[in-house]
Amino acid sequence: MKKFLIRSLLQIIPVLFLISLIVFVLVHVTGDPVTLMLSDTATDEDRAILIKALGLDQPLYVQYFKFLGHLVQGDFGNSFRYQEPALPIVLERLPASFELAISSMVVATLIAIPLGILSATKRNSFLDVFVTGGAVLGKAMPSFWLGIMLILLFAVHWGVFPVSGQGTFAHLVLPAITLGTGVAAEMTRLIRSSMLEILQQDYIRTARSKGLLERIVIYKHAFQNSLVPVITIMALQTSHLIGGTLITETVFSWPGMGNLLIQAVNQRDMAIVQAAVFVVSILVILSNLLADLAYRVLDPRIKYN
Amino acid sequence: MKRFAMASLALMLLLGVAGCGSQQSANTPQTENSTSKSTQTDSGKKVLTIASGNDIVSFDIHNHNNTSTEAVHVNMFDYLVKKDKNQQLQPDLATSWKQLDDTTWEFKLREGVKFHNGDPFTAADVKYTLERVAKDQTLLEYGNYKQIKEVQVIDDHTVHIITDGPQPVLLNRLSRLGSGMLPSKYIQEKGFDEYLKNPVGTGPYKLKEWKRDDRLILVKNDDYFGDKPKWDEVVFRSIPEDATRVSELLTGGVDLAVNIPPTDLDRIKNNEGTAVAQGPTQRVMQLTVRMTPGTKTADPKVREAIDLAIDKQAIVDNILAGGGTVTRTRVTPGNFGADPSLYGTSLYDPEKAKQLLAEAGYANGLEITLSSPSGRYLKDKETAELIQAMLGEVGIKVNLDLQEWSKFNEQYRGKKMNELFMIAYGNSMFDASLAFDRASSAIAKGETDYNNPELDKLLEEAETNLNEQEREKQYQQAQQMVANDRPFIYLFQMGANYGYNSNRIQFEPRLDEMLPVDEITLKQ
Repeated sequence: MKKFLIRSLLQIIPVLFLISLIVFVLVHVTGDPVTLMLSDTATDEDRAILIKALGLDQPLYVQYFKFLGHLVQGDFGNSFRYQEPALPIVLERLPASFELAISSMVVATLIAIPLGILSATKRNSFLDVFVTGGAVLGKAMPSFWLGIMLILLFAVHWGVFPVSGQGTFAHLVLPAITLGTGVAAEMTRLIRSSMLEILQQDYIRTARSKGLLERIVIYKHAFQNSLVPVITIMALQTSHLIGGTLITETVFSWPGMGNLLIQAVNQRDMAIVQAAVFVVSILVILSNLLADLAYRVLDPRIKYN
Repeated sequence: MKRFAMASLALMLLLGVAGCGSQQSANTPQTENSTSKSTQTDSGKKVLTIASGNDIVSFDIHNHNNTSTEAVHVNMFDYLVKKDKNQQLQPDLATSWKQLDDTTWEFKLREGVKFHNGDPFTAADVKYTLERVAKDQTLLEYGNYKQIKEVQVIDDHTVHIITDGPQPVLLNRLSRLGSGMLPSKYIQEKGFDEYLKNPVGTGPYKLKEWKRDDRLILVKNDDYFGDKPKWDEVVFRSIPEDATRVSELLTGGVDLAVNIPPTDLDRIKNNEGTAVAQGPTQRVMQLTVRMTPGTKTADPKVREAIDLAIDKQAIVDNILAGGGTVTRTRVTPGNFGADPSLYGTSLYDPEKAKQLLAEAGYANGLEITLSSPSGRYLKDKETAELIQAMLGEVGIKVNLDLQEWSKFNEQYRGKKMNELFMIAYGNSMFDASLAFDRASSAIAKGETDYNNPELDKLLEEAETNLNEQEREKQYQQAQQMVANDRPFIYLFQMGANYGYNSNRIQFEPRLDEMLPVDEITLKQ
């Protein structure tokens, strides 16, 4: 266990190094922030002064090594836009994104578990086809479209929920459903197939032949054992959720990290982009590690090496 | 199979219901929702909520060049001289001013003015504010203030501003972005970082809370020297997604929403309780034409043909839903030196365009390239495509080169454009001089290669001419020259679209797109 953890944590270092390189290069080749910062009527002289002030006149590799040097000290540099250190700005946004991501996961779980189980136990029924069809649809619906449709229906038309922003529980409902739908679709399909596989196992037949109540067979014997792949998918969905926050937070002007990242990309605010991508990478790596640990706990047959 | 069919049917029905619901919601007047939830709170406080597409950049008034940021700042900071609704200069923190010689201006400062933290406003604050931006090259507004050489403190309420040469536009400079007065004592004692966290100005509203990318809340400053502020609280919300911003307006979540896309204008107009306000802006969309000898567009007949082939009014009507005004000059009304004869008019005569092309030796047509940014300006791609089609009608085959802004800008800065490129320029100085910044032969070299010695001489004289009437005439003459020579073919002055809660507030857009909230009034 200890060895496994240490090995996993050590593996993170080269991954982060690689990410730093990719992000740095991509951010620098996609366009120049000076153009976006100065007004259209700025002269070439104004540009040259700013380029020098920001250190962008140095060769790219020099800029990268400087960036790495600062990075190991946790310093991503100052945001061009806000003229403040980038990392605190990104971290300041994490709670809002967590709030949204966790609520979406709750929504997804509440939808996926009952539907997945029902769909598997009533295989090939009308309900099953309806649920699997709905899952395909849920997965296929782009979240920005779903978000705007939910706003039109529940906020503009019926006026039950506020349109956008953060604050009360009501503000959370529409974004959480928007973000949770895609995850729910994926989870429903997985729970269904996992349950189907387990329902055909000998021990289920044994349980049934013992005369156990169907309810007990399904929940105690089948469902609990189908959880291992579900946990995996939940962890894998973390990256999906983080990706989804980019769109969902923008549609609902939710002041989270996704919203910040989109604005930073648009403004070529390199420091913020780099810091945010780094934080996201670490979150994804940690959630994968947690998943690894979780299903080793759930299924002791899985070895650590 | 049957089950599958049934399930599909059920799903389709469900979607159908949702679809109808949303369609209905888009068209039905929202009487019960449209009453503003935001204008007045339970406690009877007068609250105004405004939605913009983006948050303010920072409270460093010298280090941004963002109109929407300044639109918020004008409520917290005061200039020495301000522009009223009609863009006329009015005293603000300076009560009077006079020019002592070509390079020295004297300003008498208002007495008894206090910053939000209680510090008195004095000449030292003027010196600190203006010299900071005039001397620190790394500040984004440096280029617009480097003409100020020094600010001399004569007494607590008198300053002399010394410029590096005659500056006819000094007052315009001092009534715009970058000129809000900063509290020098507070910044020197606590540091600029502390100021950025807790900014104070002398304006009618002071900061209560700023939650980045979410909302910025201002409350009234009871000690304001001017008329009592009209609102108890003003909330600027940042809502980047257009559809969401419009929905907030329709549901009464906000009182005023800026940057409404043309496609949503009808929805707001048809909704009971909301209305649309359209106003001009300082930005003019234009085609810049390469006149380098040897290029096809070096021939004045070809340039004229291009101008005559484009129906600018059709672009404004069909693409911008009327949100714009055709023009033949970049100096639009409200700017010093505007020539009214070139505004609100455009040339369109496709038959004559064909004839001119034939005279120029292109009876069988010609091929040119038009570069345009895509996604930089409202409907820029659509505008460029329509121009391509219109030029095609008279026999000019246009290769359309659509580029993402930063790539476009690289080519533009490198002066590597082909025959035509489309770009919009603003004019934060409200003066004709800025509209000719790319017309003089020195700057035009490599870009348009426009070279008109007569114009060069005229611009040089006008730049430093302190005789207003003469200077105005010089710029009007210069505009006529450019309109005839066509190094730039002006298309239209861009408009700004706002949506507002017409049951609650009265709102009129300003040319400078600022949002001084005391000009927005609550309906009785």
